[in-house]
Amino acid sequence: MKSAGEYIFAHSEIRLLERLRLNPRKIADGRIRGDRLTRKKGVSIEFADFRDYVDGDDVRHLDWNVLARMQTPVIRTYQDEEDIAVYVLLDCSASMDFGNPSKFEVAKRIAAAIGYIALCGSDALYGVPLRKPLETARVLRNRINFLKFDTWLSSQIPEADAPLSSTLTAFAAGKSRPGFAIVISDGLDPEVASSIARLGGRGHEVGFIQVLAPEELDPDIEGDLRLIDSESPVLVEITANSQALKEYGKNLRKHCSSLASACKRVGGRYFQVETRESFDSIIKDKLRRGGWAS
Amino acid sequence: MNFANLAALWYLLPLAGTIILLYLLKMRRKDFNVPATFLWPKLTTEVRANSLLQKLKFSWLMVLQLIAISLIVAALARPQTQQEGLAGSVTVFVLDTSASMSADDADGTRFDDAVARVRKAVSTAKPGDRFSLVEASTIPRVALPLSRDPARMRDALNSLSPTDAECDMAEALRLAAALVGTQESGHIVLLSDGAFGEIENFSRGKAALHFQQVGSSSDNVAITAMGVADSTAGKQLYCGVRNYSANNKAATLSFYAEGKLFNSKKIEVVAGKAVGETSNVPPGANILEARIEVDDALPADNFAFVVADPRSTLRVLLITKGNIFLERALALDPRVTLDIAAALPENDSVYDIVVFDGVAEAKTNARGVLTFGAAGPPSIVRAVGSASKPRVSVSDDDSALMKYVDLSSTFIDKAERVEPKQGAKVLVDSNQGPVIVASDIGKKQIYVGFSVLDSDFALQIGFPIFVSNALDYMAGQAASDVVAIKTGKTLSFPATAEDNASLKSPDGSQMQIEPAGGSYALRSLKKSGKYVFEYSGKITTIYASVLNDKESEIGPAKNLQLEGGEVQAAKAPARIADFWRPLALLCLAVLAGEWWLFARKS
Repeated sequence: MKSAGEYIFAHSEIRLLERLRLNPRKIADGRIRGDRLTRKKGVSIEFADFRDYVDGDDVRHLDWNVLARMQTPVIRTYQDEEDIAVYVLLDCSASMDFGNPSKFEVAKRIAAAIGYIALCGSDALYGVPLRKPLETARVLRNRINFLKFDTWLSSQIPEADAPLSSTLTAFAAGKSRPGFAIVISDGLDPEVASSIARLGGRGHEVGFIQVLAPEELDPDIEGDLRLIDSESPVLVEITANSQALKEYGKNLRKHCSSLASACKRVGGRYFQVETRESFDSIIKDKLRRGGWAS
Repeated sequence: MNFANLAALWYLLPLAGTIILLYLLKMRRKDFNVPATFLWPKLTTEVRANSLLQKLKFSWLMVLQLIAISLIVAALARPQTQQEGLAGSVTVFVLDTSASMSADDADGTRFDDAVARVRKAVSTAKPGDRFSLVEASTIPRVALPLSRDPARMRDALNSLSPTDAECDMAEALRLAAALVGTQESGHIVLLSDGAFGEIENFSRGKAALHFQQVGSSSDNVAITAMGVADSTAGKQLYCGVRNYSANNKAATLSFYAEGKLFNSKKIEVVAGKAVGETSNVPPGANILEARIEVDDALPADNFAFVVADPRSTLRVLLITKGNIFLERALALDPRVTLDIAAALPENDSVYDIVVFDGVAEAKTNARGVLTFGAAGPPSIVRAVGSASKPRVSVSDDDSALMKYVDLSSTFIDKAERVEPKQGAKVLVDSNQGPVIVASDIGKKQIYVGFSVLDSDFALQIGFPIFVSNALDYMAGQAASDVVAIKTGKTLSFPATAEDNASLKSPDGSQMQIEPAGGSYALRSLKKSGKYVFEYSGKITTIYASVLNDKESEIGPAKNLQLEGGEVQAAKAPARIADFWRPLALLCLAVLAGEWWLFARKS
């Protein structure tokens, strides 16, 4: 377990993250003024449209040029600026405690980066550990609160009884306002695709970051083995030969593909991270080029 | 198929049981933690076991191992099958190369068919098998001693070719029996059409005899007799043509003199019958040839030669109780047509020469008489007693009769003590009286004072030369420079110099003949046609013809007649041979497959 403040970044990383803003495809209604434009008309410097003047409108917004030329009072409207809810859903299941560095450590570092970007963008950041029972998320705003978020992250540990699909379903069933739900997980749950569908169905924009270890992508095992599942009592006996490894690779590709398809179906996004990948590569190549942040 | 060691099959029970038991053992697997198991296929291959026990599951490895162990056990049981090819581990092939084997009624000629069968049989030889090849020709020979090398057998087969002569099958079989007759596993395989007489004085010993008959047809028309006779109209050529086939045959019979056609006629020969044709010989013609044009299987006997010169033939009668040495020495002369009798027949006017061997000389009409050890009233000597172990003291080396003959080292056990009559000339004298006396008053007569079998004269080099000289002396002239013989006959010519002689064969090939014991022996006259022999500054032309009833009767014999009974013809000899090698190879293949499967699964 890392100590508090572990995920405070280096200067170069901070400069990189400060330049980025999360780029959700949907515009969700905010609760308080933020830096993001909403569909609601409000007061800002961003022009939205013209409409006829009605009684009670602020005359300061009359377009005097139009009134002079056409003798018709017209009001200029402006887009309102609100915050959006960014949910960092961290998979705390036992399967995340695998690999070197472990998938959980890499997931937390990615979560910290996303949290920092969200806080810099004056978004409402919710850190949600996916475990049972599902904790009520506490909202954080402004970068000054990043240390709190970092402390929260450092306190998370993977647990045995936290199946991804059930915790994700539980979050979707909660009363959280729709926002940008970024799931950081290994996705190693056969039911996770249906959970993503539920999450998307509740109005969230789903982003799924799948973190996998090289040992999972290309396992180097052989012989007659009894496989012990990290999250369930299921035992599988195999003879790890070339045929079995080939079959495993095929199943893994199929599962990842179903994950990506599930995200796409709900208008979400998906990318895969290998734990050996560098932080810069993840931020620049996956987050920025993938359009997650800009 | 049967098993030589049937009890070995019982091994299958414990061995197969052990394999199945091993598959009943359960495998203890190593625990391995993984993030999730749902991605892993339930693929288990149990190739090892270290714990008890589980339900028997189907496994290809187990199946292959059971097959392999079954094959091993089956091989241990020594399965045996009847296999064609070599008759046994020691086999002598006796290959008939006589004239009838040139008949082209088989796949190619009969000879080609026989050679192909030997090749096929040798190709099935197993390591340790030995085989040999005997050529059954006029003078049989071992073409290949017992050998394990198929390549040498192929070379030996390549060195053989069919002849136009008769074969001495009895001698060939005796040779084969000498090679393997003492071995229990010995087999003699005779490849022939059976066109030879009954085999006498042959014992196969412990060896088995197999007769592989080749050929299928009797379709042959041949010239079987040819000669020249004096008649009131001059010389007349007679020719006998026989049809050996089952159908009547039409043929064109043509006569040639000195290579030029002088008569030709269409003849019809009834199946199994012979026809005789005569024709006047053109004046001055010497070399006469008869040729038939007919569609048959054997062309070699469709022509024959005869020489009109009377010097070219001598009809000789040998009166003897049995003397193989004298018979062979007389038969060596190409002019001689030899008849043998125990007593002088009443009508002896057909004979040019009569030879009395140990039989008292009697009055004869022949123009020459040779008497060995028994003077009679007409003899040129008078018997006065007997001599014991006479030693030759004086020999008239200048006489033509004693040319190249030296009796000084000859041992004579007993002889007649004689006195020469008036006019008789003593050619060889001894300390006990004359040994060889000759006279040419009235008729040519030669008296030898001892019987051939009472001396070692027959074993001397000079004996055949003396017989040849005696024939020249009694015939009144030297041999003609043109000779007509039957194929296969061995001719002897006196060698007056140590120079090599050359023989040109009908196919144009030239052969060098070295002199041996003062004479050139021609044993290579096995093909019909014209030979030219150059020796000691002379040239002799030899015309060889088949003229052999046994060889022309090409109808294949179904069974082989032996003194001890019949040998049935068999298509190909077969033997009971072990069959374990293919099983062992199959087992190796199965084990290789099992290994591949194991490596693929683990």
